[in-house]
Amino acid sequence: MARMKFLCDADRCIDCNACVTACKNENEVPWGINRRRVVTINDGKPGERSVSMACMHCTDPPCAAVCPVNCIFPTEDGVVLHNKDQCIGCGYCFYACPFGAPQYPQVGNFGSRGKMDKCTYCAGGGGPEAPGSAAEFAKYGSNRFGEGKLPMCAEMCSTKSLLAGDGDIIAQIYGERVRKRGYGSGAWGWTTAYHEDVEV
Amino acid sequence: MTFLARFRLATFVLMLLAIAAAVPVFAQKLGPDGAPNPTASVTGQRELLQQEPRITGRVDIPDIKSSVLIQPAGRTWDYFHQVLLRWGGGVVILGTVALLAIAYLILGKLPISAGRSGRKVVRFEAFERFAHWLTAASFVILGLTGLNITFGKALLLPLVGPDLFAAISQIAKYVHNFTSFAFVAGLLLITVIFFKDNLLEKVDMDWLKQGGGFIKNRHAPAGRFNFGEKLVFWLSIAAGIAVSVSGFLLLFPFYGTDILGMQLAQVVHAVVAILFVALILGHIYIGTVGMEGAFEAMGTGEVDLNWAKEHHDQWIAKKLASETRPSATAAE
Amino acid sequence: MLIRKSDRRRGSAKPVVADRPGGGLDRRTFLKRSGIAAGTLAALGELALNGVRKAEAGPPAPPGAPVSTRKNICTHCSVGCSVIAKVANGVWIGQEPDYDSPINRGSHCCKGAAVRDDVLSERRLRYPVKLVNGQWTRVSWETAINEIGDKLIEIRQKSGPDSVYWLGSAKFTNEAAYLNRKLAAFWGTNNSDHQARICHSTTVTGVANTWGYGAMTNSYNDIRNSRTILLMGGNPAEAHPVSLQHILEGKELNRANMIVVDPRMTRTAAHATEYVRVRPGTHIATIYGMLWHIFENGWEDKEFLSQRVYGVDEIRKRAAKWNPKEVERVTGLPEAQVKRIAELFAKEKPATLIWAMGQTQFTTGTANVRASCLLLLATGNVGRPGAGANIFRGHTNVQGATDLGLDVTTLPLYYGLAEEAWRHWCRVWEVDYDWMKSRFPTKQLMETPGIPSTRWFDATLLPKDQISQPNPVQAMFVMGHGVNTITRMPEAVRGIEKLELLVVCDPYPTAWSVISERKNGTYLLPACTSFEMDGSRTASNRSLQWGEKIVEPVFESKNDYDMMYMLAKKLGFADLMFKNIKVENGAVSAEDILREINRGGWSTGYCGQSPERLKAHMKNQHKFDLVTLRAPKDDPEVGGDYYGLPWPCWGTPEFRHPGTPILYNTNLPVKDGGGTFRARFGVERVVKRKVMENGQEVEREDHDNLLAEGSYSAGSDIKDGYPEFTLGVLKKLGWDKELTPQEMEIIQRVNSADPDKVSWSLDLSGGIQRVAIEHGCSPYGNAKARMIAWNLPDPIPVYREPIYTPRPDLVADYPTLPDAKQFRMPNIGFSVQKAAVDRAISQQFPLILSSGRLVEYEGGGEETRSNKWLAELKQYMYVEVNPADAAERGIKDGSWVWVTGAENSSRTRVKAMVTERVGKGVAWMPFHFAGFFQGADLRAKYPAGADPIVLGESVNTLTTYGYDPATGMQEPKATLCQIRVA
Repeated sequence: MARMKFLCDADRCIDCNACVTACKNENEVPWGINRRRVVTINDGKPGERSVSMACMHCTDPPCAAVCPVNCIFPTEDGVVLHNKDQCIGCGYCFYACPFGAPQYPQVGNFGSRGKMDKCTYCAGGGGPEAPGSAAEFAKYGSNRFGEGKLPMCAEMCSTKSLLAGDGDIIAQIYGERVRKRGYGSGAWGWTTAYHEDVEV
Repeated sequence: MTFLARFRLATFVLMLLAIAAAVPVFAQKLGPDGAPNPTASVTGQRELLQQEPRITGRVDIPDIKSSVLIQPAGRTWDYFHQVLLRWGGGVVILGTVALLAIAYLILGKLPISAGRSGRKVVRFEAFERFAHWLTAASFVILGLTGLNITFGKALLLPLVGPDLFAAISQIAKYVHNFTSFAFVAGLLLITVIFFKDNLLEKVDMDWLKQGGGFIKNRHAPAGRFNFGEKLVFWLSIAAGIAVSVSGFLLLFPFYGTDILGMQLAQVVHAVVAILFVALILGHIYIGTVGMEGAFEAMGTGEVDLNWAKEHHDQWIAKKLASETRPSATAAE
Repeated sequence: MLIRKSDRRRGSAKPVVADRPGGGLDRRTFLKRSGIAAGTLAALGELALNGVRKAEAGPPAPPGAPVSTRKNICTHCSVGCSVIAKVANGVWIGQEPDYDSPINRGSHCCKGAAVRDDVLSERRLRYPVKLVNGQWTRVSWETAINEIGDKLIEIRQKSGPDSVYWLGSAKFTNEAAYLNRKLAAFWGTNNSDHQARICHSTTVTGVANTWGYGAMTNSYNDIRNSRTILLMGGNPAEAHPVSLQHILEGKELNRANMIVVDPRMTRTAAHATEYVRVRPGTHIATIYGMLWHIFENGWEDKEFLSQRVYGVDEIRKRAAKWNPKEVERVTGLPEAQVKRIAELFAKEKPATLIWAMGQTQFTTGTANVRASCLLLLATGNVGRPGAGANIFRGHTNVQGATDLGLDVTTLPLYYGLAEEAWRHWCRVWEVDYDWMKSRFPTKQLMETPGIPSTRWFDATLLPKDQISQPNPVQAMFVMGHGVNTITRMPEAVRGIEKLELLVVCDPYPTAWSVISERKNGTYLLPACTSFEMDGSRTASNRSLQWGEKIVEPVFESKNDYDMMYMLAKKLGFADLMFKNIKVENGAVSAEDILREINRGGWSTGYCGQSPERLKAHMKNQHKFDLVTLRAPKDDPEVGGDYYGLPWPCWGTPEFRHPGTPILYNTNLPVKDGGGTFRARFGVERVVKRKVMENGQEVEREDHDNLLAEGSYSAGSDIKDGYPEFTLGVLKKLGWDKELTPQEMEIIQRVNSADPDKVSWSLDLSGGIQRVAIEHGCSPYGNAKARMIAWNLPDPIPVYREPIYTPRPDLVADYPTLPDAKQFRMPNIGFSVQKAAVDRAISQQFPLILSSGRLVEYEGGGEETRSNKWLAELKQYMYVEVNPADAAERGIKDGSWVWVTGAENSSRTRVKAMVTERVGKGVAWMPFHFAGFFQGADLRAKYPAGADPIVLGESVNTLTTYGYDPATGMQEPKATLCQIRVA
């Protein structure tokens, strides 16, 4: 069984934000919700590296654990989905998420949060809607996974920095790259997300 | 708690301290000949996480919280919330209930020793009772809706099913958010109204020396409030402030704080709330089944004179003295 | 597999295996897409995606609506990424990655990944509007064209055709660019320009004057072959992100050196093996510094220099003056660093030099790129895989629009403006030369270069006697060109206010519409984007790609062809202009325009790329090799072709020349895409030299050979240099008999008086090219590249300080060129520089201000700032300030500051970004913003609902005087400013 993961090769990432707009375009994500973002470490200094980050679809996902209504769950492919019908917008998943993935539309009173939104690995939603239906799309975005396609962010990455797919294979690809070029700043977030690192 | 869990708790506490004190350390590497070599200067997450608990950088979107790339503390917070809080909270609350049950079994309902005199004295005016019940009612609502967040999915979810539970929780969240304002209002009122009578006095030392009357089995001296009540008052004020401040931080997420602040706020809110619930359980016990004649004070506002003499001898003495003076107005 | 939703909770799940969808991802495809060759991970098992839920991807189409896919080209830079659009019911519902394109292999940057909203944006101009007493008023297309046409004719009668300025666009398709140039010709003026003026005009002039053609010599893909990649004056990570796919993979696979020389530590520099921080505007000094070490140590390629290069001795002499001490004094670069990069570049070959605006946008732009060419020539790094001048152009079709003559100095395809050129195009257009001449006030004006777009407002504002044409400019007809990308905006505002007529054709209102206080005489016409029309685009690597219309033009917008047809009809020459171009119900055939280009485009090899061949390439993208760009020879449709038939693609389409992926590559036969340096400047040069003879100094006349010596392309029948081919040359060689009678007949018709003079570029039959190529020869000859370009203001590059320099002490040694008249306009750069030094401007404005590009936006930015997915990413205009400069001024990151400029008392209110990206003493601002002007918010002035989402101050409010004498290029990369807290 393939275990889906993301891997951002920071030595390839150029902060072009293609992943960000690809995600927005594919899933019609509204203004203010950023399922994916690019963060630049050491900006303007030698050693600068940019990393594209979204939900990493963790092993043993902390968001799912802390969710008070159990609306977040990993599928057998390792994709962490959630059911917006059950989400109460408490924000706990954001505190637990090591990657700042959960997003909340601002609704109504105060800074009050609406239903949580996050990267779905372009695999539709975790609610009762029919896969690939307009109702599912409106709530969660596209369902490329159901078509055998990978998340749009990785598909459109300008430098093939962001890899998506079976964790073993993308780890192999990354390892191969590091061996070939002789350097690598590591698989960002892997130890935190998957309790493992890429062996090079 | 296992050793490992204890170790993790200790790590967590240390980490929180470390986060607060962390200063960014910047490792710049140079290539051969000392020229800046961006590739050679590559810094991995492992080194960065050794320097700082969180990896932070620059983002383009104007959302300050998105600049945190990785914060492994999320996993620690998950551990706190799922293990420490759940088990700890459960132990504290169930433990309190158990202790009170034991107390009841041993002591039973403490009677008015001299029996009811049949004469009532006003202990709490209507407005005072309003303030108390406003706070009390909102506390109960907040407590139940709050506990649902932590314990609901273990206790309630299996009973009602996920969809109903989600609906309940959604309503509970809004109720919790709105009731908070009532609670804060009540808390402010109580603080103002009862502030003076809860200041510590010399008599409280005596009350304490006599163990509140439990040790020597005779009633200890007290003013309008005895030391036990004062303790509840001050602890409630402190806990109330703590849950209110942390609660409002949670209610207005990321206004003036960051992910660490939010996590700390939630930790404070949850821990204090649990202890608060335990404290108030004790308060309720004494005020209801634990003691004869006590509930009336907040129920009708009037207590039996004998009850007052037994529990608040100095207060009733003063009160009676002032009532005999015809010129005095009903001050309270 | 995913778990069915009804059983979705963990623990209680009963997995239900759905049908396996068709088109699952096989491992091979997956690996290919991840940028690794299939087969290297043979030990891995299949990627098991079994049991995923069957679903349609993307926003689901309405039930029952068929979904079709169309392929077009991203309009945001010159890399040429293919865009696949999914269309249902005429609505663009989603994008898919195009893994077949050898250029982008599915990838995009944020702009390419968001192009759907360029078309769908709510902020587009929906219908034609005009200003009536300061209010935008809706008009019909017919009314608008009628009123505009009447006004144009009135101005023409009153002041002559040169008083109308036709400003075109690098976002045109090739066909629209060509049509726009043709329109200006039929109108009777050479005042026809586009963004190349402010982009790579200096590259085109400088590079073409060195070795023949002014374009990228190799390709993005070819950088994969490089062992040293030197980027000087370019930030492709932000300006051409997908090119980094090739650069970084090349860097990794070859363990190549990647050296970035730039005033800013850019996103590109972050991936370099060496970053060199240099002072803006000191490029020539840096290059001479490198050449000093190269010559000093004998690292130059001596064989290459003797066979294929003219004039190295003078360069040696010049370079000798640039000793390490002087280089450090001017550039600030230490000797060791300059030596190291020079050694890498000369010895770790092949080495490529990549540049963009960081070299071109200076008063010394032409000399800058010439210096770069010298470095390439000296090290023998031209004309071979992995080497070359990889010049990254900016807009999607700036290469094509330049080629097709949207330029004040030439007709399409670099024929120039001489009578011979006009006669050539009149033959192609099948119009009478004398009629064409009658459209112009005089024959002399017909053959005089027009006014560059950088000076249009000077041509409006300056007194009549300072402008060398009958009258100042009174009307601007702008198609797809921002006003905020041109320097000196406060003066442009006055220029706009003085115009009698302003017409802006653009999908968005653009800054033209809001920046002035105009009340009348202004029209905004909604053009559609290139996604809503057919046509070809030329990427930076000279490959042509055909884009098909994705959806019909939205709202009332029209495509460029139809718009120009309407106007030509109103102006009375539509029938002549569209003589050989099919127009049906007002809809112009893009294919026919390209065929007309093919019939006249011999000089640059735009003759072989028929619409049919280009469409076949788009259909067969997957067949082209990633590195060589070549398709297998046995393919029935595109066999042996290079992707996009990179020009020159010689001969007629039927000749099936494969295109030229690498210019001047002698390792390949010409018919396989090889070539030589172009014999463009004669066969010899007569120079008078003073020499010592018998102890006396005498003047000697030398005849320097300009033809190659002992170097020729593979398979050439002539084993030495040769001049360009004419019928006469063919006759001398005895090859004229190979021409077919039909070809001969056409040649005779071209010049019946003296057919021997008909050259390879004027021969409308393509016969001369065919015969030359069949003998393995380049039609344009085989010459040496020129290190000395004696026709340029600086024949060999001379270092000159920017007009506004922070180093007035260097101006005495390195002043700019004297004042002169160029392009019908005075260029008083010398006086301005002198005044700035005399008035100690650099003390009032101590910071260097440079400008550049952001990845999220493009050009003037209206389109991208109206794109909701892009606009969210950069919501404020800002200035980058070094922490030290910020601390001196009390500026905090994210706070508001006033940036003031050295001319016009200009000022802008922007946010400060305190960052070490810029060095101390340097400030940097992006150039894509408009909608705020000197602190004032102009949002209310846009037509209702058409205001871009994000507005900001334009950096060009602050930029200053300074024009390259050879091209009129502006100088926005180096001026001075001051910053204080707002």
